[in-house]
Amino acid sequence: MYKPLQVKVFRFNPESDVAPKFDDFEVPVFDNMAVLDVVIYIQNYLDRSLSFRFSCRIGMCGSCAMYVNGRARLACRTQVSSLKTRDITIMPLPNFPIIRDLVVDMEPFFDKWKKIKPYYVPKRELDEPVTVQPNSNEREFIDDMLDCISCGCCYSACSMVATNKDYLGPAALNRAYTLIADKRDAIRVERLKVVDRSYGVWRCHTQFNCAEVCPKNIVPTRSIQNLKRRCVLKKFGIFK
Amino acid sequence: MHAWTWVLQRISAVILIIAVGLHIGFLHFSNAGEALNYGEIVARLKTPVLIVFDILLLIFGLYHALYGLYSVFLDFDSGKKERVVVLGLLVCVGLGIVGFGIFGLLCTARSL
Repeated sequence: MYKPLQVKVFRFNPESDVAPKFDDFEVPVFDNMAVLDVVIYIQNYLDRSLSFRFSCRIGMCGSCAMYVNGRARLACRTQVSSLKTRDITIMPLPNFPIIRDLVVDMEPFFDKWKKIKPYYVPKRELDEPVTVQPNSNEREFIDDMLDCISCGCCYSACSMVATNKDYLGPAALNRAYTLIADKRDAIRVERLKVVDRSYGVWRCHTQFNCAEVCPKNIVPTRSIQNLKRRCVLKKFGIFK
Repeated sequence: MHAWTWVLQRISAVILIIAVGLHIGFLHFSNAGEALNYGEIVARLKTPVLIVFDILLLIFGLYHALYGLYSVFLDFDSGKKERVVVLGLLVCVGLGIVGFGIFGLLCTARSL
């Protein structure tokens, strides 16, 4: 029989609570238990009023991101055993407004996505499809960066986002890179202008906080550095 | 503007790594064990190559430091007015220190 988990959960309802608090729960452990199972157990058996967000349970949707034991993680992909402790503290993602308990408002995050126009715009003058060789370095690099599930972990870990509300953040910049690096895209230069601003790529200080917490092992810092390089090439008139 | 200042920050970083290494090597290890007197140090400072080298070290060191400070300031939410004031202040401080440094070096070079 495993020793039960001692779980501290952040509780706050901005509509009725004056200040946030932590509730303590004792949760039994079972094999291969994930942090998502912990909060589901609490909601099912201990406190039905606990609010959190989840959907796919397999690390695909990015909706169950939480701040677990001092680090942003996907609750469904974080095994309790990997935390190496029976004491678990669960909080909502930092850098986001709190809606209730562990549920955060993703609106500011997606507002920044909208700024970089996160959709592919095809070139109209092309008659033939542009070929990007499957074995080219560029193709492989973009492929890695396309794995983003917009969970917000990188955004919550970024200290620049914490200090500057206008900074676009790692996820939006990473998305911008995947489009700007795509030669088929028609508005690459326009997109580059959006990120070539004080609150764009130039606020990144390559601290790699985003890469540290990304559940998909993406390195947004690398994308941002590549964007900076392209901004410089644009100034030299080399980027087309 | 950001692209240029960022590139210059990188270039100044590389120059500083080399220049500070040379500076320390030349001033502290070239005469290891020997106690220099004031006259010898001033005589060494009269070397034109060393004067030019020190001026460049001062300029690149200051640019790197002040741009870093400005960058830290930009990390926090600030209005356009505040940004202009801080940038102006840092430029004045930078020019002042560079001017004072060059003046000091040239005065030393002419003093003997």
